[in-house]
Amino acid sequence: MRRPALLAQLAAPCALVVAVALLGTLVSRSSEGYFVDSLVKVAIVVALYVFIGNSGVLSFGHVSFVALGAWTAGVLSVPTAEKPAIMPNLAHFLRGTTVGNVPSLLLAALAGGVFALVVGLALMRLSGLAAGIATFGVLEITHNVLRYYEKIGPGLNTFSSVPETTGLWQASIGALIAIGVAFAYQRSRFGRMLRATREDAPAASAVGISVYRQRLGAFVLSGVLAGLAGGLYVHLLPMNTESLYLDLTFVTLAMLVVGGATSLWGAVVGALAVSALDSFLAQAENGVKVFGGTLDLPAGTRLVVVGVLMALVLILRPAGLTGGREFSLPRWRRP
Amino acid sequence: MILGILNVDWQTLADALALGAVYALMAVGIGLVFGVLRLVNFAYGQLVMAGAYALAFASQWNWPRWAGILLCFAIVLALSLVMDRLVFRPLRTQSPAVMLVATFAVAFLLQSVALLWFGPLGKIASSLAPLNRPVVISGVDIRKIAIVAVVVAVLCLVAVQLLLARTTVGLQMRAAAMDFRTARMLGVRANRVIGGAVLISGALAAVVAIMLTVQTPLVTPDFALRDTIVVLAGVVLGGLNRLVPATLGGFAIGFASGLLGGALPTTQSQYLPSILFAAVILVLLIRPNGLFTRGRESLERV
Amino acid sequence: MTVLVVENLEVRYGAVRAVRGLSLTVEPGEIVGLIGPNGAGKSSTLHAIMGAAPVAAGDVRLAGASLVGRKPEDVARSGIALVPEGRRIFGELSVEENLRLGLAGRRSQAGADDAVERAYELFPIVRDFRRRTAGALSGGQQQQLAIARALVAEPDVLLLDEPSLGLAPRIVDVVFDALAAIRESGLAVLLVEQRAQRTVALADRCHVLSNGELRLTLDRDDAADTEKLVAAYFS
Repeated sequence: MRRPALLAQLAAPCALVVAVALLGTLVSRSSEGYFVDSLVKVAIVVALYVFIGNSGVLSFGHVSFVALGAWTAGVLSVPTAEKPAIMPNLAHFLRGTTVGNVPSLLLAALAGGVFALVVGLALMRLSGLAAGIATFGVLEITHNVLRYYEKIGPGLNTFSSVPETTGLWQASIGALIAIGVAFAYQRSRFGRMLRATREDAPAASAVGISVYRQRLGAFVLSGVLAGLAGGLYVHLLPMNTESLYLDLTFVTLAMLVVGGATSLWGAVVGALAVSALDSFLAQAENGVKVFGGTLDLPAGTRLVVVGVLMALVLILRPAGLTGGREFSLPRWRRP
Repeated sequence: MILGILNVDWQTLADALALGAVYALMAVGIGLVFGVLRLVNFAYGQLVMAGAYALAFASQWNWPRWAGILLCFAIVLALSLVMDRLVFRPLRTQSPAVMLVATFAVAFLLQSVALLWFGPLGKIASSLAPLNRPVVISGVDIRKIAIVAVVVAVLCLVAVQLLLARTTVGLQMRAAAMDFRTARMLGVRANRVIGGAVLISGALAAVVAIMLTVQTPLVTPDFALRDTIVVLAGVVLGGLNRLVPATLGGFAIGFASGLLGGALPTTQSQYLPSILFAAVILVLLIRPNGLFTRGRESLERV
Repeated sequence: MTVLVVENLEVRYGAVRAVRGLSLTVEPGEIVGLIGPNGAGKSSTLHAIMGAAPVAAGDVRLAGASLVGRKPEDVARSGIALVPEGRRIFGELSVEENLRLGLAGRRSQAGADDAVERAYELFPIVRDFRRRTAGALSGGQQQQLAIARALVAEPDVLLLDEPSLGLAPRIVDVVFDALAAIRESGLAVLLVEQRAQRTVALADRCHVLSNGELRLTLDRDDAADTEKLVAAYFS
């Protein structure tokens, strides 16, 4: 492929992220949160994309890695003095340990990756529906354990007192890292091999590609990115196990599908488009002025609209808004 | 003796059987539609939820019981047909993954609609509450609903079995589940068998709604959501591409969760979902096509 | 009167044109053969008639009415029955249930029992094994069942896709004899086959298809002319 075209494939999603971040600096303090949130969602959806997009195997389990990343970064970031109040049953070795912001994010990424490795070693043999259900099982187990096992976190309670360090800066850097890693991966030998298995698994194995190993590699890489995104997420706002369960799974999958699951560009566009819509509706649920009138939607409209959008895209345009293709510059016809 | 070891009393056993029976019905409902459409209907629980709301409203309006049950059937069947028309049919030619994500979206959509219309607090469906009273059978207290649920489930299963085995549309549904393309070229009308499967599946959802509201009268937007997730796991566990294994899987997971839920102390039973899903994952790894299927069968249609 | 007309048919899968400009007709009481090497477009033609393959151009008419764009089940119910390649028996159902599935293609359910009875008479083996699981039958028995299943719909046109595939010569005789009997009953038969010589000998006319195009039409007298057959195949 021509170099400028390749460059555009990486530059376009990055430019979009930077544009959102810049836009975020212009708005009010209260609206800024939406922009930061959408950038974290970009990181999560790109993490999802690395596995689902390249392998074609469905995973309902990625929010587990986000959740573990969030728990890791959260537990390690709450100031030691406040830990007994929030997490009275915390395991001894966690009680005395508190690390800085960046190390907590790195450890979150590590935790996501290790978890994905453990899960993937077993699950990457499956595909199709079995994979869908098994990854769903992982989500259930993770949610269940984080909810009740109070030695590693706040359990049912909300994760408060985590320093809220994820602002526009960190979120956009996180999203850019995710995009960069995803791009490097899909251009690499491994990425191409995995995509070959997506198109035709028997043919790919026939030429010597190990479907299992390629899928596992992508799964771990996406686990690392998901863990990192989870770390960013917990530093963004106080959360509990319910914030890292079905709703997030649904919304992030919707973003990936709406954008177009088979391209990085689709993942980023989908994440930002659905985020924009979602934030607007969230605002509207509290009453918002549009074109001179006040739009005041009842609470709960958001998920309805996102659900309708996702169903519509799946039915009318199953390849997503971008058609599942990478960004390409418009071609100039020579006279 | 085994009951003694597990510290299970007869009431728990009866409740577990009843839960297994209800889950078996859900498994049949999911399995029938999968058979003809190769589509795992994640939104099955929302059909049950809609039926439960119908019962709750009927009891709020003080309708007689039969009218409430009728309303429940009407709502669930109508919603099933709409779902078929608007979602299943346009997606018929898509990959299983796309269809699974799509029904996941529909499930969320319906749940959100319920939240929007009926609020998060829930409504009480109380007209069938008397079924919760116990009857004494040779000195043991058993809740009536446990007996009713088992009997109704057996009747429904027999009815579905007869319908599949003895009627023309049943034969056509079985053939379509095996080889849809050939069945169509023989003159089997696709929309008719799909419509048939969707309707039976919907009727079973209505029955399930009635059974579950007796046990859990508080109807919220996430009513039956957890049950559906567990049943789906059970169905895949049993083997999705055959109705009998799927039903057994549904029953097994319902019975197991009822038994464990009743027998384990709270500190352990709160981890019940983990135990169940760990078991499911383990089985999938050993037998990706299900526990109760023979030989090597592909889960997806080629 | 001509019952089945195929006119300038073009079947296209994406960029691949499987059939190009094919025209043929079949009259009642006539067997028309369609022969040619693998990939010549024979099965695609049958699928296009059944509404199960994309028709890019041309027309298919049954007794004057166009079938293009209709669903497979509607084509079947309008009077065309297919005996598919590989027989496509429902192996887990009983022989009788397989036969009853063929009734779905009838225009009216009146007289269904008589139709089943006539199919049994033509293929006694199907009657003898009607309680068995169809998957347990031999290949030849399954082929007879597949033809019987098509016949109970009492179609005007019978399409057969390589009915002799994988059968022992003795069984091929049974199948071809049955086809001759079916012709006597006044059906229009379109027979796709690989066994060129036998097909030319049986059919009233035989079209040779290659790379999706009609190359040559042979009549019954050409069966003995091996050179002409070889030339038609490898042109």
